[in-house]
Amino acid sequence: MSAETAQAGITRRRTVAYLGLSVLGACIGLLFLLPLWWAFVNSLRPGGDTFRYLNPLQWETFFTATPTLDNYATLLHSDLGLATLNSIIVSGITVVVGLAICSMAAFALAAIPFRGSGAVFIVVVVSFLIPFDAIAIPLANLFRDWNLQNTYAGLILPGLGNGMAIFLLRTFFLAIPKDLVEAGRLDGLGWWGIFRRIYLPLSVPSLIGAGLTLFLFQWQSYVWPLLNGTDAQHILGPIALSNMQGQFNVDYGVMFAGSMVLTLIPLAIIIAFQRYFIQSVSTTGLK
Amino acid sequence: MSPSQTTDRRAAAEGRAAFARPARRRRQAPLVAVAAAFLAPAFISLLVLRIAPAAVALWESLYRQSFLRGGTVFVGVENYADLFGNADFNNALLVTLLFSLVVNPLQIGAAFLLAVLYTRKAAGAKIWRSLVVLPIAVPPAVSAVVWSVIYRPDGLGNSFLSLLGLPAQPFLTSPQQSLASIMVLLSWIGVGYWMLFLIAGINDVPTELYEAASIDGASAWRKLWSVTLPLVRRPLAFVLVADTVSNFLIFAPVQILTKGGPSGSSNLLMYDIYTRAYTLGDLSKAQAEVIILVLLTLVIVAVQFRLLRSSDTA
Repeated sequence: MSAETAQAGITRRRTVAYLGLSVLGACIGLLFLLPLWWAFVNSLRPGGDTFRYLNPLQWETFFTATPTLDNYATLLHSDLGLATLNSIIVSGITVVVGLAICSMAAFALAAIPFRGSGAVFIVVVVSFLIPFDAIAIPLANLFRDWNLQNTYAGLILPGLGNGMAIFLLRTFFLAIPKDLVEAGRLDGLGWWGIFRRIYLPLSVPSLIGAGLTLFLFQWQSYVWPLLNGTDAQHILGPIALSNMQGQFNVDYGVMFAGSMVLTLIPLAIIIAFQRYFIQSVSTTGLK
Repeated sequence: MSPSQTTDRRAAAEGRAAFARPARRRRQAPLVAVAAAFLAPAFISLLVLRIAPAAVALWESLYRQSFLRGGTVFVGVENYADLFGNADFNNALLVTLLFSLVVNPLQIGAAFLLAVLYTRKAAGAKIWRSLVVLPIAVPPAVSAVVWSVIYRPDGLGNSFLSLLGLPAQPFLTSPQQSLASIMVLLSWIGVGYWMLFLIAGINDVPTELYEAASIDGASAWRKLWSVTLPLVRRPLAFVLVADTVSNFLIFAPVQILTKGGPSGSSNLLMYDIYTRAYTLGDLSKAQAEVIILVLLTLVIVAVQFRLLRSSDTA
């Protein structure tokens, strides 16, 4: 009898814990979503209504019965829209060119046994231990001397060689059996052929992971584009958005619409490649 | 799918035609030359765009603009000495250290507790977890802009306080609250990211260990403290160092929300370097400050390698 009640007690306690943890987890999750959700809802209503439903809080604070895409339409023809397009161009070129040069470097470090590969690897590691934002100011002075200020090249170049991406790809390449290299050589492949025909096709997941690293580096950057490309033609999304926030008369609706676009693009990419993103996160943690 | 495959195959065939034969001919081609060709673009860009600016900053931090002679003169460590005698710099250093001492334990503690919460059996745990991770997709400048509206006197922050029956707060315009407001914003951005590493660590803990602890009659807290915590110390050490380094480099929220103010209360080092270089135009001292910041982060990373090595042997 008493054993049965004890058993029932344990089951009940488990149920209570399950429910409690579910509610707690849900509340915290929703709390984290709140700022973005609020920004999203405000992007769907006129800028004049941003502060209308805040005092006191009501259901209309977080929902709108009359959503409109007007702010997004305005965004299309605004400077912020152009700046977002610039961000897409700069990040896109960075991913394509950066992946090419980083995977080549990683291949040399992982597959070609040459003297000095240890020293080169140390340079790679040191280069990603030096935080880029900290050296952005001296680099911006160099770029001014080299006439690279306010050019696409100036915005893209620092994102191309990424020590972290090289590190990730090298780790993956090291796991590819050397027998395959030998087999490739017997088939008459040169080093380029081995890289192009054997290593790259086998490494699609880690290439996607490294591509995400390169993309997020550019998309999220703020210090560098602020120092190096602020004229109307080359300004990037985050800088244009923060300029807008600093103005005296802000159209909050358009500002939130711009925030949403700048967020949804990387979000869609992260969700599409979620598996690889988590993979690269865990590889970084294991180093 | 199929068109890309055919172009793939064609490209590969061309690659073979173009490269295989010469490669066979230069079978004895020195490996160093081959490796150099593969390495050159990335290696040169790392040298020129990462290492050279650090070297330039170190070099220029030892010189000073001379108005008497024109050009620059060597002054040794005088720029550094001046910095440490400068009230604004000392304040920035103090604010940055205080900020690190508070924000890092806070974020890592929160990330750890959330990682524990979201690895328990509960309804919708994966969904709620991904909501916590969501802010990592938001560019820092966008987060700062959104939170600048939340922190306005008539913004969302004060609406919530009044819902709880609390008086309205000034947030960013108060010297006592500006730094804390930035910490809240940064924790919203970062906690989910660091949680991912810790969740990976917790999932690696063998379940038998928990079962054994349960048989020994350990309470949930005891299991957390004596089983989970020691076994995730590797990811914890990594997260601690990576978080500390990234928090030394905070710039966008300060520049967008407070401009270092009011009265220097949120003037973190990165922003101080920026104003020293561009507002005050004192480039040589700004370079010295860059070097101090780089050294600070390198010391933290060196500590990480120590920590990880000793936990390996332990």
